[in-house]
Amino acid sequence: MIRTLKPRNARSKRALEAREPKLVENQKNTLFLSGTSTSDLTRSAMTDIHSLKKPNAIKFTKKNSIHPFEDAAPLEFFSSKNDTSFLVFASHSKKRPHNLTFARTFDHRILDMLELGIDESTFRPLTFFKTSKPGIGMKPLLSFSGAIFDSIPNYQLFKSMFLDFFRGETVDSINVEGLQYMIHFSAPESTEQNPTPTIHMRVHMIKTLKSGQKLPRVEVEEMGPRMDFKIRRVQEPDEAMMKEALKKPRALEARSKKNIETDIIGDKIGRIHTGKQDFGKMQSRKMKGLKRRPTDDADEEMTLVDEDEDNSAKKARLA
Amino acid sequence: MPFTKTVKSSAYYSRYQTKYRRRREGKTDYYARKRLITQAKNKYNAPKYRLVVRFTNRDIITQIIYSEIAGDKVFCSAYAHELPRYGIKHGLTNWAAAYATGLLLARRTLVKLGLDEHFEGVVDADGEFKLTKEADVDDEPRRPFKAFLDVGLKKTTTGARVFGAMKGASDGGLYIPHSESRFPGYDIETKELDADTLRRYIFGGHVAEYMETLADDDEERYKSQFQQYLDDGVEADGLEDLYAEAHLKIREDPNLEDPDKDTKGKDHWKAESEKYRLKKISREEKKANVQKRIAELRK
Repeated sequence: MIRTLKPRNARSKRALEAREPKLVENQKNTLFLSGTSTSDLTRSAMTDIHSLKKPNAIKFTKKNSIHPFEDAAPLEFFSSKNDTSFLVFASHSKKRPHNLTFARTFDHRILDMLELGIDESTFRPLTFFKTSKPGIGMKPLLSFSGAIFDSIPNYQLFKSMFLDFFRGETVDSINVEGLQYMIHFSAPESTEQNPTPTIHMRVHMIKTLKSGQKLPRVEVEEMGPRMDFKIRRVQEPDEAMMKEALKKPRALEARSKKNIETDIIGDKIGRIHTGKQDFGKMQSRKMKGLKRRPTDDADEEMTLVDEDEDNSAKKARLA
Repeated sequence: MPFTKTVKSSAYYSRYQTKYRRRREGKTDYYARKRLITQAKNKYNAPKYRLVVRFTNRDIITQIIYSEIAGDKVFCSAYAHELPRYGIKHGLTNWAAAYATGLLLARRTLVKLGLDEHFEGVVDADGEFKLTKEADVDDEPRRPFKAFLDVGLKKTTTGARVFGAMKGASDGGLYIPHSESRFPGYDIETKELDADTLRRYIFGGHVAEYMETLADDDEERYKSQFQQYLDDGVEADGLEDLYAEAHLKIREDPNLEDPDKDTKGKDHWKAESEKYRLKKISREEKKANVQKRIAELRK
């Protein structure tokens, strides 16, 4: 645990305030770290993922003697120091060659971790494909194909992790021109012989061509990086922490509106409450027959007297 | 050895993360760069272009650049050293040249986009502050091509030349969001732009004025300072027409070929370099050469 800092000037105060929990959270930052030994491949894979994540990513080059699955405290330290809620840790060993560990944090504590091995033979970096590349900070389209992503826990975690990883800023509308690339994950069904199938990650540029109609003809072209992942060790999220992480702030919940209902047919019905009506003052229909006539004078005088009495009483009270 | 407190321990150095290379070299302002290349959240996912203006000792570089994840790409570029094709032969780094280079870039970009006829910009530069508005293309309103000025590490003082290039690009029909406050002729006290002063700068009036004062005061200095102008027969009062004509020529054809372009081709230069290359010779040939030299000495 790091000591809590007290801001000494306005600038550091603003910086600290920017890191505080917010009602609408900002985009998640990612920190890229490398272990004591890394392979060329993991470094290049990390560079490519970093460039896909730009500008919400920090990449460090120093070696760190961290073993995430034995002691994740250093990762938590890095996470809180750099205000990053995603960590990607590269390592390479004889036992686990070409290893990338994706870690997610909540409140700068490790929420879950996923260790992925990259297949050496099929890896192709971003620079291998001589195509145009998407602009910085563009939102990708994400697609997952394979029922395995919804059935097996580790693969579910993979899906949840990568959806979160590439999600970017939440926006309510989008410029079509900015839909520049898509990331596609696919995995075959798990079988007896192959219970943990490889996950294929392919990144494509989206090309919109003229089709003569209003909708353009869409073609995709692979732009890299091309990676095949094998899931290795996994740290499932702690149930209590996950629950806390998924909690939505009260203020964001839509307030239920009173007195407005929708019936079975779908009609909106509203109830309005009015005050108590005084029928004595109600204006009834005006017609000639109801007009005052001289014969009614006696009655009239009676009422007039009443009114006078009322008035005098009021005056007395005022005085 | 006097007592010195170790401020930076080995723990400091072992944890030290170096800055980006361009930061270490002092060439890039990453704070500005981040903001220039990432799109605002509310316009999410629209590509963003920069108008990059850089000055060297003898040249001005203007480029329209967009950023991709694997690096920046230049969409279009124009240099001050191309201006002699349009008649501006001297003073290639002054305010007026910056304006002309910006104009050249804008026209080139619009030609490349096929929008040059729809966005004319300001044809007769009058020094008034004006932003490019949307125009009708095929009876539909079309927004202008938008680019943001990237000044690099230059100081953004009032009257700086980078804003000359920006004014040129803006008058050329690009939409570059800016205000009038950094143009020559802007008065900070009254907060007003003197259009005449700006117009004078666009047509090199400030150079002409200096030429005149020098010619009156110090004939010798005038001759050395404006030697090349005088050799070409350019006088102070002819400067404005020279720039005006160049602007017209740029609008006529922004992609003029370089008249001095090397037309000899690849084969010519290959043959030329072959002349000076030492060929590998065989052992027999070497022996023969030695024998030949011995025979010559024996004579």
